[in-house]
Amino acid sequence: MTSNSTQSQTIPSADAKTSLALKVLSIWHIIFAIAGLAGTVMIWQSASDIADWIKAIVSIFLVLGATFSAIAVFSIRERKHRGRTISLVINYLGLLASFFGGLHTVGFFTGIDSLGETFSKGLPYMGIAFVGYLIGTIGDRYQKDHPGTAQKFRKTAQVVAAIGGVLFLFAVGIVPGTLSFISKFNSLIPILLLLGVIIFGIMVWLMWREPTRLAMHTKGKDQLMLEGYLFLSPNFIGFLFFFAGPLLFSLYSSFTDSDAFGNANWIGLANYQEIFNITIEPLEYADQLAKEVINIEVYDELSRFNFFGKDYVVGAEDQLFWISLGNTIKFVLLAVPMSVIPALLLATVLNSKLPGMKIFRAIYFVPSVAAVVGVAMIWRWLYNSTVGYLNYFITSFIKFVNSFAGSELLIDPQIGWTSDTQVALIAVAIMAAWQWMGFNTVLFLAGLQNIPGVLYEAATVDGANNWQKFWNVTLPMLAPTSFFVLTTTTINAMQIFDQVFVFTQPPGGPGTSTTTIVLYLYRQGFQNFRQGYASALAWVLFLLIFGLTLAQYMRQRAGDEAI
Amino acid sequence: MKKLWLVITALIVASMVLTACGGADAPVEEEAPVAEEAPAVEEEAVTEEEAPAEEAAEISLRWRTRPGNQEEADLYQGISDGLNLDGITLEYEPGGSDTSSYQDVLKTELASGTAPDVFWIPGTDVADFVARGLLLDMRGMADATDGYADADFYEGPMFHLTFNPETGNSSETLWGLPRDVSTFALYINLDLLAEAGVDDPRELEANGEWTWEAFQETAEAVSALGDDVQGYSGSAWWGPYGVWINAAGGNFFNEDRTACALDTDEALAGLQFVQDLYASGAAVPYGEDGEPPFRSGNVGMFQNGRWATPGIRTVDFEWDVVGLPVGPAGNPGNWLFWGAYVVNADTENPEAAWELVQALTTAEVQGTVAALGANIPSRVSQDALDAFLDFTPPANNQAFLDGLANSPTAEGPLWAGSWPDFGAVMDTAISSLLTGETTVEDFGATVCDEANKAFQE
Repeated sequence: MTSNSTQSQTIPSADAKTSLALKVLSIWHIIFAIAGLAGTVMIWQSASDIADWIKAIVSIFLVLGATFSAIAVFSIRERKHRGRTISLVINYLGLLASFFGGLHTVGFFTGIDSLGETFSKGLPYMGIAFVGYLIGTIGDRYQKDHPGTAQKFRKTAQVVAAIGGVLFLFAVGIVPGTLSFISKFNSLIPILLLLGVIIFGIMVWLMWREPTRLAMHTKGKDQLMLEGYLFLSPNFIGFLFFFAGPLLFSLYSSFTDSDAFGNANWIGLANYQEIFNITIEPLEYADQLAKEVINIEVYDELSRFNFFGKDYVVGAEDQLFWISLGNTIKFVLLAVPMSVIPALLLATVLNSKLPGMKIFRAIYFVPSVAAVVGVAMIWRWLYNSTVGYLNYFITSFIKFVNSFAGSELLIDPQIGWTSDTQVALIAVAIMAAWQWMGFNTVLFLAGLQNIPGVLYEAATVDGANNWQKFWNVTLPMLAPTSFFVLTTTTINAMQIFDQVFVFTQPPGGPGTSTTTIVLYLYRQGFQNFRQGYASALAWVLFLLIFGLTLAQYMRQRAGDEAI
Repeated sequence: MKKLWLVITALIVASMVLTACGGADAPVEEEAPVAEEAPAVEEEAVTEEEAPAEEAAEISLRWRTRPGNQEEADLYQGISDGLNLDGITLEYEPGGSDTSSYQDVLKTELASGTAPDVFWIPGTDVADFVARGLLLDMRGMADATDGYADADFYEGPMFHLTFNPETGNSSETLWGLPRDVSTFALYINLDLLAEAGVDDPRELEANGEWTWEAFQETAEAVSALGDDVQGYSGSAWWGPYGVWINAAGGNFFNEDRTACALDTDEALAGLQFVQDLYASGAAVPYGEDGEPPFRSGNVGMFQNGRWATPGIRTVDFEWDVVGLPVGPAGNPGNWLFWGAYVVNADTENPEAAWELVQALTTAEVQGTVAALGANIPSRVSQDALDAFLDFTPPANNQAFLDGLANSPTAEGPLWAGSWPDFGAVMDTAISSLLTGETTVEDFGATVCDEANKAFQE
C-alpha cells in the first residue's frame, strides 16, 4: 500500500484533456466489447453462406477482442499500464485489419496488376521531378558562398519537382482512380471499414500520446518495449498471416477432404489412414497374382519379398506414396553425397592462394544462381540418348579404347538417361548435385577460412602430412559447417520438385521412377484437386524432414560433447 | 529538400493506391447486361451480382488459350484485337509455358475465382470441369441464336461437348465449341529413307500397302544406317501408343466408357507390336524426347500431330508427312484430338462470352489459325480446310485430313470416371511395358485391376 501511494504521488495527475481522452477510450472499449460479442452472435445466426471454420476463427478473434477490451476498461479506469498495452494492441490490430480489409474490399490487391501499365505512363513526368532534384543539388554547391543563389535554385527545384509530381499523378490516372475509389463507397462494408480506420487510428493516437502515457503510469522501459514490438509488428504479423496461418490451415485441411473449390468435410484421420494403409500377405508361390491374396479394390501391389523361404506380397492403398517416398530417399542418398563431398574437396582446392582462384570460386557458384528451367533444358539435351553429348562422349571413348584393343573390349551401353527407369533418378540427382555443389562449396570455403592457421602450423611441426592435416584438423574444425551443409542439402533433397518437374517428361517419368513426394503432393493438390490429401502428405513429409534433422542434430551434439 | 521528396514519395504511393483501386474495379462498375433476349441459363451468381446499369456500357472479357509457340500467341493476339464485338473489349492471355502447366494454372485460378471468362481446355478435361461445376451450359443461348448448329462441327468432339451427365444423353447441353482438331501423322525424313533404300511410304500409302509390316521394315532399314540413327520416334504419352491399340481393334475403354479395356486381346496385340518395335532397337527409346533426334536428322519417321509442323519446318533436310500405317483392324487407328473454348461458370457476362466463343470458332478465324499450320479447323467448312491445305510444307497436308476421314477415335473425357487417375495408371503400366520391364502377359493380367479404380466413385 505504501509503495503504491508513494508511486501515485510521484506521477503527475492527468490534465483535463488526457482525462477526457481516457474517458473516450474507456467508452470506446465498452462499445467494442459489446460489438464484439454481438458480432459473434450475429455471425452464427445470420451468415449462413460463410463456412463454419471461418465463423469459428472470426468468433475466436471477436471474443478475445471483446474480453480484452473489457479488461482494458477496468485497467484504464485504474490507470494501469496493462490497460494501455491492451488498448494499444487492440486498436493497432483493429487499425491494420480495417486498413487492409478496406484495401481488399475496394479491390486494391487485385488491381495492382494495372499499376504496371499506368505507372509506366507517368515515368517521363517522374523524370521532370528528378530534374528538379538535380537542380536542387546544383544549388547546394552555392550554399556556402552564395546562399541567395542557393535559395533560388532550391525554389526552382521545388517548382519543377512539384510540376513533375502533379503531371505524374495525372498521367498515372489519379483522377479516374480517385473517382473510382470514391465510387466504391456505395455499400456498407467499405464505409464501415473506413470508419474503422479513422476510429482505431484516433484511439491509437489518443493512447500513444505522451500525456496519456504518463497518466497510465507507463515507465520508460515499458514504453521502449512497446516501441520494440511496434517495430517488430510488420514481421511478426506477416509471420502469423503468411506462415503460421497457412501452416495451421494446412494441418486443418489434412483432416478434411478439401478440393479447393470450397468443398471441405471433416474426415478425421482418414487421409493419414489412406497414406499408411498397407497389407502384407503370404503367397503360395512366387508368381502368384497379387489379386488372389489381397483385396485389389483397396490395395495395389507395392512389392514382393522372400522371408525365410516364404514369399510375401506387400499391398498399399496409396501405392504411389510409397513409391515416391522410396524415390525421394534414393534421391537423397544420391544427391547429398554427390553435392557435399565434391564441394568439400573443391573448397579445399579453392582455399589455396594460387592465382586466379577468385575467378574459379565465381565460376563454380554460377550453377547455384542459374534458373532451374534453363539448367534442366540444357541437361535434357545433354542426356538425350541419341543426339546428346554425354552418350556421344561415352561412345567416342569406347570406340577409342576398342580401337586400341583391336576388339570389342568395351560395349557401348547407350544409356537411356531419361528413358531408363533404372537411370532416370540418377540423371536427376547428377543435375541437382551439379547445381547445389557451388553453394555448398562457398559454405565450406567460409568454414575453411575460419580455421586458425596455427593449427596447421602445429600439425606441421608435429610432422603431419597433408592428408593427416585434412583428416585431423580440417574435418573436425569444419564440423559445424558440415552439419549445416548436410542438413540444408538433405532438406533440399527431400523437397526436390522443380528439377524433376521441368526435367522429366512427363513429370515423374519414365513410369514412376522419378516421382518424388513433393511432385506427388503437387499432383494430388493441383491436378487431382485433393487438397486435403495433399496437405496430409505435406505433414508426413514435414515429420520425416523434422525427424531426420533432429537425428542429425543429436548426432552432431553428441560429437561435440565427445570432443 | 528532404520534405519535398517525402511529399513526392507520399504522393506517388497515394496515386499507386488510388490507381490500383480504380484499375481493379472498372469491369464490375461498368458491366451491363447485353441488350438482347436473355435465354434461360442457370446462372444464379450472375443474376445476384448484376449491376442494375441503366445504359449498355462496354463489357470487358478475358479469354485464354494455349498457343504452341510465340508465333501462335501473336496470331491469337491479332485475332483478339481484330474481333469487332459490339460493346465488348477483349483481353487475350496466352497460357502455359515450360515452367507452368496450362491446366494446373487454370484450375488453380478457377479455384481462387480469378480465371478468365472464356478459356480453352483439352477434350479430356471436359467431364472433370463439368462435374466440378466450372463450366457454363450454353445450350439455352445456343438455341436462341440464329444460324448456330451443332452439326457445323465434327461429331466426335460435339458428342462430349453436348453430353448431359445427368441423363447420359448427348445434344442436351453445350459446354463449349471446339477450337480446332488434329490427328497424328508420321513426319518422314526423305533423305534418310532414300539413303536406306526403302520404298517411299507416301507411294505405299497411295497403293494401299502402308501396313504395320511395311512400317516395321522401313524403321529397321533406316536404323541399320548407323548406331546413332533410328527408324522411328514418338513421345511418351497416351496418344502415340494409343494408335497402335486402336489400329489393332482395341480401345482404352469398353464401349460405354465405364471400364478399362486395356486387357482385351486386340489392345494387347497392339501393345505387343509397339513393344517389339522398341525392343528391336529401331526406335528412339520410349521416354526419350523424340523430336530433337528427328530435327537433327537422326530419325526416319517421327509420329506427332499437326501442332509439330511449325517446329519441323526449320529442319534442313527434305521432309514430308505420311499417314499412319494400317493395322490389323483395317485402319490406322488415328486419334481425333480436340480442345474446346468453354465459358467460366462464374462469368459475369454469359451472353457476351457466348458471343466470343462463336466469334472464335467462325470459319474465317479458324482459317486464319489453320493458315499458320499448327491446327486443323474444327468447323466442317471447305473454306477453312482450304486455308489449311495452303500451308506448305509439308506438301502432303492431305495426310492429316485423311486421318480425320479414316475413322479416327475421338479423344474424350470420362463421364463415369476420372481421366487423370486412369491416365496415371495406364501411363505408368505402359511405360514399364515399352521399356521392357514387364511382359504383355503380366501387363494384361494386372492393369485393369488398378485402372478400374478410376471408375469408382
